[in-house]
Amino acid sequence: MATDNATGGGFGEVSRLRGIAFEYLSLGASVAGLVALGVLLVYVAIDAFDLANASPEWLLTYFLTLVVPFLGFCLYSAGDPAITRRALGALGGGLVAVAALFTAIEAFVVDIPRLSWQLAYLFVVVAPVTGYLTYVGSRGRVGAVGFGLLGRLVGGVAVGLAVGTLFLVFDELVWFLAYTLGVLPAAGLYAYGRWRDADRAASAALPVGLVGVVAAVFLRGVIATYPSDLIIYLWTLAVPIAAVGALVVAGRGSRTAAAAAGGVPLAVATATGFLAGGLGVPGPTALIVLAVTGVPTAVYVHRVIDGGEGVVGLGLPLLIAAGVIAGALVVEAWGVPAPDPWLDVSYVTEAPSRTPEEAGLYPAIVGSVIIIALVAVLSFVLGVGTSIFLEEYTAGSGLVGSLTRLLQVNIANLAAIPSVVYGLLGLGLFANLLGLGFGTAVTASLTLSLLILPITIISAQEAIRSVPDDLRRGSDAMGATRWQTTKNVVLPEAFPGILTGTILALGRAIGETAPLIMIGAATTVFSAPSSLFNRFSAMPMQIYAWAGFPQAEFRYGVVAAGVITLLIILIGMNGTAILLRNRAERGN
Amino acid sequence: MSNTPTSDSLITTDVQTESTDRSAVSGATAVAARDLNVYYGDEQAIDDVSIEIPEKRVTALIGPSGCGKSTFLRCINRMNDMIDVCRVEGDVEFGGKNVYDDDVDPVALRRKIGMVFQKPNPFPKSIRDNVAYGLEIQGFDGDVDARVEESLKGAALWDEVKDQLDSSGLDLSGGQQQRLCIARAIAPDPEVILMDEPTSALDPVAASKIEDLIDDLAEEYTVIIVTHNMQQAARISDRTAVFLTGGRLVEYDDTTKIFEDPEEQRVEDYITGKFG
Ligand SMILES: Nc1ncnc2c1ncn2[C@@H]1O[C@H](COP(=O)(O)OP(=O)(O)O)[C@@H](O)[C@H]1O
Ligand SMILES: [Mg+2]
Repeated sequence: MATDNATGGGFGEVSRLRGIAFEYLSLGASVAGLVALGVLLVYVAIDAFDLANASPEWLLTYFLTLVVPFLGFCLYSAGDPAITRRALGALGGGLVAVAALFTAIEAFVVDIPRLSWQLAYLFVVVAPVTGYLTYVGSRGRVGAVGFGLLGRLVGGVAVGLAVGTLFLVFDELVWFLAYTLGVLPAAGLYAYGRWRDADRAASAALPVGLVGVVAAVFLRGVIATYPSDLIIYLWTLAVPIAAVGALVVAGRGSRTAAAAAGGVPLAVATATGFLAGGLGVPGPTALIVLAVTGVPTAVYVHRVIDGGEGVVGLGLPLLIAAGVIAGALVVEAWGVPAPDPWLDVSYVTEAPSRTPEEAGLYPAIVGSVIIIALVAVLSFVLGVGTSIFLEEYTAGSGLVGSLTRLLQVNIANLAAIPSVVYGLLGLGLFANLLGLGFGTAVTASLTLSLLILPITIISAQEAIRSVPDDLRRGSDAMGATRWQTTKNVVLPEAFPGILTGTILALGRAIGETAPLIMIGAATTVFSAPSSLFNRFSAMPMQIYAWAGFPQAEFRYGVVAAGVITLLIILIGMNGTAILLRNRAERGN
Repeated sequence: MSNTPTSDSLITTDVQTESTDRSAVSGATAVAARDLNVYYGDEQAIDDVSIEIPEKRVTALIGPSGCGKSTFLRCINRMNDMIDVCRVEGDVEFGGKNVYDDDVDPVALRRKIGMVFQKPNPFPKSIRDNVAYGLEIQGFDGDVDARVEESLKGAALWDEVKDQLDSSGLDLSGGQQQRLCIARAIAPDPEVILMDEPTSALDPVAASKIEDLIDDLAEEYTVIIVTHNMQQAARISDRTAVFLTGGRLVEYDDTTKIFEDPEEQRVEDYITGKFG
């Protein structure tokens, strides 16, 4: 073994030299990797937000109006003097240390490009301290309420925008019919069955829903007149969301509060939806965003006020908004030079352009969102289905058993195949053979689903395998069929693990470029795809294209803004999935 | 627990006093095995066992580890079907029908036979959903909540959990979890309850509660219980079957007879702890 005996006092000594060396080497290696990535992200952020041009006064203003109040909120929530002292010490000591070190390096060693000591302080001290205090603060009651509210606001907007985006390519008229004929009756039957304990009604829900959806697809061409988009979204999305919100609140007692929680956001959303057209914002999207944001927020606020704990935390969004506005006013009045970020509203709402100042990522964002949504559904369904089959249904011996093992080995190997090869498969199979078109969103989604399928399957299998056999035997002994055991016991228990695997796999799919190039996806398109069979572009493709442009502004600013957008969407997606998973875990 | 083994015999007078309320004379037969042989691959786990287990009595299966007690139990509700290498020859009759006949659906069979395992295995669901599980999968039409209450009362757990039916079954103590599993097993109103060392993972107090419960269960159900614990078998069972190594049924008789005056010398040696 790796221990040597050396003579010493008492029992002698055992050398741990190799262990210690190993520990520090691995620590060093991982820290080096993280630091390298961190430095890259700092530079990307500086480019994307044009922070190199931010004057010290500008930084100071926002530090005082935005960062300091936010940190104060977190410290108040944590309510621990020791943490407050440590945080102040870190901020103050860090300021001195970073300023001194930075100046010394600039004076004696090398000039550090595009960074000032203030920016270095921001990234090296303020950002980590803020992260830590956010974590600490969110564990206090006030902070939990504040971040809960903030999360619902931000999450609602994100989900609303994503749903609005999906309706760009999915036919909302089919959705209207499917909702009216299938989803609504099915949900009604199910709710009635639950309420009255009528199992027959509840089990009729699924077939009724399916028939309705199929009927919708057929009737789409037959029916000639439809209500306006706005009415459709109101009827199919905003009203049901508001109804669910009202029901949730009503379940906790108060009827008036329930009406308010459902009604007020609905009214605001409807009014805004009708007005938005005049302001140039697409009305339906405004309606969805407001409904998806407003109702959960109203329900949450009601719950917090009802519980009476940490109500102060509800002020957090106001605090942040006030900080931004106050900062802007001060900067305006003071007249200090402000940065002109590449990543701004027009960047995410406009099409690509020849001039860097006007270049936007909108069509590529839409393309990516659509592809990710399809890939998520496809790979989840296929991956979970396959892994259930492999884990729960196949026999361990006999011909089927051998076939299963063969399949198993091959799935593991498929995970190791380079993504260009999948691109080739997509090109041959989906684009050529099945005629789904070159560079269309369907072809891309199917290809990327195949690409991540092995990872999804393997991780779902792992999750299913980790469900204790005791539970399966318990269910089997009750006289459950294989399917009942799988559905009632195995899947609920394995769900969090399956979700984790799918999240990781999706993260890979969203960043893939090579297979998209192979199937002929465009690097640049100038309008968002309006159907699944349109040519589309995805964020990594567009970023890659810009990186080759001759103007330096493209290669630095515009590309950096794209990278940050991609990261934000990725983190948002993962965050949502992680929340879902935690919820599922707590549900057990 | 009032029973402590005496130095040379496990037989105590309590045996008779506690089971006098049910006559040990067998009534109708609930489960019977005829010339039963079970193999795991080439290895034989049950060797030519024939036995008739009476209705609404507690029958204990005792014997050293690895002598095939659990295997025998799993033959009754065909849980052995799940083990690929397992092969069963001979008949196991339940309600006058050989459960290994081709026209028997093992899933339907298991709905008539409850099973409780050595390690408590409640589902990660609420207490209510745990108890209602069997009803749910069988598409029970009646009043589920009433059945849940009745089963929890039957498992002597109702008073402890009636205020927390919606909390997770995993939040209960080990003994409560095992009683929850018993409630789950009796909720669909089976005819037979199989228990495989139901108290061996529990502390003595929790174990004695389960023992009392088993005594009550025999009013309504046929209970077949595997146990390692000789005192337990003596206390709670009406009939005792002694298996010895190799999967042979060596002696099967009234519990008092087995513990006071066994026919076989090997059984006496085993019971008095001379080997095993
Ligand atoms: N799943 C199995 N696969 C192979 N052999 C088994 C399996 N279960 C039990 N056996 C074997 O069958 C014999 C009887 O086991 P078991 O019925 O568990 O005994 P007991 O419950 O009396 O301790 C043992 O020799 C054991 O090794
Ligand atoms: Mg056993």
